[in-house]
Amino acid sequence: MGVAVLLKQVPDTTAKISVSGGRVDESSIAKWSISPYDEYALENAIKMSESGFGDVVAITCGPARASKCLTEAAAVGADRLIHVVAESTLDSIQVQALLSAAVKSAQCEVVMCGKQAADTNSGSTGPGLASILDFSFVGAVTEVSMEGGGFAATRLGPSGLEQIEVGSPCVFTFDKADTELRRPNVRGIMMAKKKPIENLSANDLEVETSNSRVSVESHSSPPEKPPGQKFVGVESIAEVVSKLREEANVI
Amino acid sequence: MAYEALDFYDIDSLLTEEERMVRDMVRDWVEERVLPNIEDACRDGVFPDQWRAEIGEMGILGAPLKGYGCPGLSYIAYGLICQELERGDSGVRSFASVQGSLAMYPIWDFGTEEQKEKYLPDMARGELVGCFGLTEPDYGSNPGDMITRAEDKGDYFLLNGAKMWITNGTIADIAVVWAKLEDEIRGFIVEKGDEGFSAPEMKGKHSLKASVTSELVFQDCQIPKDRILPDVKGLRGPFSCLNNARYGISWGAVGAAQSCFNSAREYALSRIQFGHPIASFQLVQNKLSWMLREITKGQLLAYHIGKKKDDESWIPEQISLAKMNNVDMALEIARMSRDIHGANGILDEYPVMRHMANLESVKTYEGTHDIHNLILGRHITGIQSFTREL
Amino acid sequence: MKTSVISESSNGSLHPVTAQLVGAASSLGSSITVVCPGGIGSTEAAQISGVSKVISVEGECFETYDCIAWSETLAPLVEGDLILSSSSAVGRELISSLAAIKGIPVVQDVTRLADGFSVSRSIFSGKAIEEVNISAPCAISLRANSFEASRGGGDAEIASVNVSQDVSVAVKQALAKASERIDVSEADIIISGGRGMGEPSNFSYLNEVADVLGAAVGASRAAVDTWEEIPHSMQVGQTGKTVTPNLYIAVGISGAIQHLAGMRSSKYILAINKDPGAPIFGVADYGIVATWEEALPVLKEHLSEMVSN
Repeated sequence: MGVAVLLKQVPDTTAKISVSGGRVDESSIAKWSISPYDEYALENAIKMSESGFGDVVAITCGPARASKCLTEAAAVGADRLIHVVAESTLDSIQVQALLSAAVKSAQCEVVMCGKQAADTNSGSTGPGLASILDFSFVGAVTEVSMEGGGFAATRLGPSGLEQIEVGSPCVFTFDKADTELRRPNVRGIMMAKKKPIENLSANDLEVETSNSRVSVESHSSPPEKPPGQKFVGVESIAEVVSKLREEANVI
Repeated sequence: MAYEALDFYDIDSLLTEEERMVRDMVRDWVEERVLPNIEDACRDGVFPDQWRAEIGEMGILGAPLKGYGCPGLSYIAYGLICQELERGDSGVRSFASVQGSLAMYPIWDFGTEEQKEKYLPDMARGELVGCFGLTEPDYGSNPGDMITRAEDKGDYFLLNGAKMWITNGTIADIAVVWAKLEDEIRGFIVEKGDEGFSAPEMKGKHSLKASVTSELVFQDCQIPKDRILPDVKGLRGPFSCLNNARYGISWGAVGAAQSCFNSAREYALSRIQFGHPIASFQLVQNKLSWMLREITKGQLLAYHIGKKKDDESWIPEQISLAKMNNVDMALEIARMSRDIHGANGILDEYPVMRHMANLESVKTYEGTHDIHNLILGRHITGIQSFTREL
Repeated sequence: MKTSVISESSNGSLHPVTAQLVGAASSLGSSITVVCPGGIGSTEAAQISGVSKVISVEGECFETYDCIAWSETLAPLVEGDLILSSSSAVGRELISSLAAIKGIPVVQDVTRLADGFSVSRSIFSGKAIEEVNISAPCAISLRANSFEASRGGGDAEIASVNVSQDVSVAVKQALAKASERIDVSEADIIISGGRGMGEPSNFSYLNEVADVLGAAVGASRAAVDTWEEIPHSMQVGQTGKTVTPNLYIAVGISGAIQHLAGMRSSKYILAINKDPGAPIFGVADYGIVATWEEALPVLKEHLSEMVSN
């Protein structure tokens, strides 16, 4: 039993990103963190574990530096730590194959992760994994608790905020919630040092990761915004509002 | 933007993963809980009790002490904790310094087993607050001539006198008080409810406003016999506590300086005068460059003395050097930073003048600048110059 | 080349983004089938120019949103070299699930799509742009308002398919969304007032615009310090909150350095101020020199119209 929590290491959302030679310069990233929505998944998983649901298995798929995520998760209460060691340039098929194999090996019937990661903001992993594992899926939840033999959850669905029920096994993706995320403490940090990290490779999981049909061609900085446009009088408002939609795409 | 603490010579690469995680934990707490609220706390002149509780929950009090529920971290980790707390505010760091180095430490080093079991675990959790009673209204740099006295009355000690400038005093559950028993300085644990003991708060401070500063008043205060610290006599007791606190302050000052440097740099890059950011002017770059040099030097001092503390190869004079140097440079950096901010620097929109005012206290407490100077002078020459009698 | 477009709906009818998906596929010279989950909007979809066929997928299972159940019914009906959806919350989930079922890769929220396929998407919350090559068969979700919509005048055939599928998610209760105003530090859009608002009660005009946009309402330090009624929690600026919304609307705010520091990293800034020399115009992407009294009602009106389209 237990909950698998998928954590992705991303540049901290406040870190500056610089591009050089047509690629984002990873070495200049000041701080790496657990993707923010994943933190809500972790918090919920730990709460469920405290209510007796079972162990929290923290899983990350990424290069060596990603192990820091697992130590951070251990410092707030994750029990098992699994690092699927892989390059950061995998496509959706490869990532989902690796993660689903890791989840299966950990024998978890509940998977939790953020609704999207702060680097790509894609959100493909949760639903993709549910299809591969043949689990149910509930997205954009703010809270999950055990209910009968299954789960009760609050989710933001297309019709609005809803209280739903779903059985096990299930994948939940998390949105930002009102929940306070627990802080590590010294005790947790010291215990985290002692928790071993299980390293798994694509070979160990029997997953093929060559032959991708997706490749990153280049990175660039966003184009310089054009100089500010100044208008006089309320007659200009209609034009400005239309520019907010057409040019800026913010409404 | 993510807070990037100035680390020009990459001290970060010298830290263990545990030390980094502890530092980051405190840094995140300060960002989330202290920085958004510190200006209000200062305006109101209060140390929020919530912070005491959360600091306790983090488990960082009494950082380098081992056993009895204490964290047992390295001295480097203790330094980093002080650095990050003081980046927030010197008053917040003072709470932790007093609790850990001045109240928990003497019990840990000089107390009986019963005293250690009774007080330390709750103090480590922040549930029992302590303070340190050494300084008196007329005896600051010269604690040896203190007049607070204890008399042995057979079944109890009778304490009379007053202490002043005591951080945490009014909120403390216990006070480690140094008083003369038969003309010899001894340590006594006084508890809040003890009859004849009161701890009024000192108001009207321009510095350390988000910290509780108190008097401790003893009027025929009766202390049970089991509250004396048996294993220490003379100034050695209080001075060993002060050495630990001073060590933490040498890191804390770096934190305050880093905060002021960052604010100055950001301000200089955004403030446009004569059509250019003031960061493009040579006089401003000169000041920023000086700050970077001093912070880097201060970090190296703090780190090295931290390693010597962990190795147990230190002497008190080495700590005097670090405390004195780092607080001096931090105070100067705060002033210079305020200057770079121009008139905006006097507003509590920016942290610089608050740090500047705080550092005036930090320069004076835990051994004034001049006293540490003379400690070094005595070390160099073998001749003490604190008093006229040679 | 064949493309399947997963149509997007809102409030029981076809969402305009569907025409943009068709437009994007058309520019690749593709034959296009639009698949409508629950049959919603199938008639309007058939009228989009460039659509060859509409598949209206109907069944009880569409009464509740269950991503896995829906994608399992849609999977056999969705075919081709390319599957497109919008990058809305539901669009992303469905296309991820479909891609996994079909064993094809997916790239999300792209803003450019060309032959090959070559796509662009924004990464690290807009701090960089990524150019990606992805070859067919594959799935791609498109960001709304990034592609030219296909016009009307189409007349595609509509095929109805009835499916029965078990749904694993049961809705126990619809919850009313909290009516509390969003916090300044979390909002995508913020409208902020300064001392130029004249009186704290005038912030109600800002609230009205905020309601139209689902925005948070903030205040400059000057406003917070001057008026007790404007709480510190609304303050944007150095010791108030630093905000990074997509759109920051500064009303009656001069743009002094302290306020700027807090909102400088907003994606787009719209300033409304009666003083043409106000420093805020130096950082605003769009500046309107007008009094807020005149401007806000007009702004509210135009925004309401834009938002409901």
